[in-house]
Amino acid sequence: MTDAKPRVPVKPGYYTVPDDPNATPEVICSRCTECGEYFFPRRLVCAKCLSRKTEETRVPARGTLYSYTFVHIPLFGSTKIEYAEGYGVGQIDLPEGPRIQLPLAGKREQFRVGQQVRGEISVMREQEDKDVVILRFRPVEA
Amino acid sequence: MEQVAILGVGMKRFGFYPDVHVNELARDAGLAALDDAGLSFADIDAVYAGHIFMQPMTAVRAVKELGLTGVPIQRIENASATGSAALREAYLAVAAGHYDKVLVLGLDKMTEVIGRTPAAPELEDAILPAAFFAMWATRRMHERGTKPEHLARIAAKNWNNGALNPMSQRQPKEKVTVEGVLKAGMVAWPLTKMMACPIGDGAAAAVVCRLETAKKLAKGRPIVRIAASHLGSEKYERGHLFMGPVVGPGRMSRDAAKAIYEQAGFGPEDIQLVQVHDAFAIEELEYYELLGFCREGEAEVCIERGDFELGGRVPFSTDGGLIARGHPGGPTGLAQIWETVLQLRGEAGKRQVPNARAGLCHMMGGGSVCVAHILVRD
Repeated sequence: MTDAKPRVPVKPGYYTVPDDPNATPEVICSRCTECGEYFFPRRLVCAKCLSRKTEETRVPARGTLYSYTFVHIPLFGSTKIEYAEGYGVGQIDLPEGPRIQLPLAGKREQFRVGQQVRGEISVMREQEDKDVVILRFRPVEA
Repeated sequence: MEQVAILGVGMKRFGFYPDVHVNELARDAGLAALDDAGLSFADIDAVYAGHIFMQPMTAVRAVKELGLTGVPIQRIENASATGSAALREAYLAVAAGHYDKVLVLGLDKMTEVIGRTPAAPELEDAILPAAFFAMWATRRMHERGTKPEHLARIAAKNWNNGALNPMSQRQPKEKVTVEGVLKAGMVAWPLTKMMACPIGDGAAAAVVCRLETAKKLAKGRPIVRIAASHLGSEKYERGHLFMGPVVGPGRMSRDAAKAIYEQAGFGPEDIQLVQVHDAFAIEELEYYELLGFCREGEAEVCIERGDFELGGRVPFSTDGGLIARGHPGGPTGLAQIWETVLQLRGEAGKRQVPNARAGLCHMMGGGSVCVAHILVRD
């Protein structure tokens, strides 16, 4: 892998890709300035109080694993051998409120409902000019 | 408001039809429903036809196979709940007095679109429906101690019910066992292949009309009436998943049940059979509770007792459910209506539920809508 290639999210507007590979990425949410509810992904109208006064806000990608599975098919669009056997998927409750559904790093035996997980940026597909990356979550070692 | 009856039902068995045009599948189901109702297409005042996967206007073109009479035709689409939603539109139109005899048609060839991949991967592509439902199961196992065996027993029941239904896509030649279901390959832990519905093609149809019309045309056959009809969408609550294939909060099914029991004037204790959106076995387990057929946390005990099997307290998915009868998309909800009408008339053969007087049909659409009906034999 060449480090010089830019890392580009599979779809922009959902999470940040920090320059420092060891930094925790951020999840791009909306927060309602009227009732305080957070949403992922971003939205204009607050789903709780219907106010239109929402603002973009970024929160660290970490939280509690609400549920998980391990899908026994290759990750769609991936060229990495790591995903050929399948991949974990989790529902993660961010401490700010939103529940998000994204791939998990690791083996099924490592996942536990209620455990703390942290987001990381991982290469899903290497292209000539760029690496296409995804946000996934990994259990935090106790 | 007019009272509304179901005068006829018809189906094309769900399965793989690589050499048959979807219009022909629709034609066969439509003609079967007309024949069952004892009507000609000339008698039909309006058509509501639904599909998910086909090109726009497919439904309208397919109806031409039945005749070109100038009848109003409206396409309905509401994901898995398409057929159920089309029935509801027909029900509303007849109840409001706009039409008398209405044909409802569901058609799809899912096999023509599966494998058609999008141009670029999306963020949501990693989260398949199987993964979503598997996470329902994982959470349930965590909260209630549910075992994969409970899910396997539901799946085995539905496979075996399918063997009793000539219209079922899956026709197991030998009795399906809990062990067999567990041994099938894993799709998304803890869900195995045999706990999931197949893809397929097919069509299903129903003719609805005013109750008074049905009484005139019944020729001594029991009359099946629509006692309740409901369509609802999600209410926001904390923990809502906005991305990926989701089945919104279980509350949507609970609210649907409350609404139809109020409309019908009776509750689950007076219902003898139920069809649900059992795309995966975990769903049926959750719906036992959400629709009020057992108390919260008791589904596992009821499964162990066989409460929801044929011969049990309230049989679920008597025709095999989505897991065995199949789930091509647009027609699925109308297959539930086909089954329930046959059961209420006493025409369900080897899978007949004794003394069936009321049946409930429940479908989810894209996880974001819920359609539910109660049918009764008057």
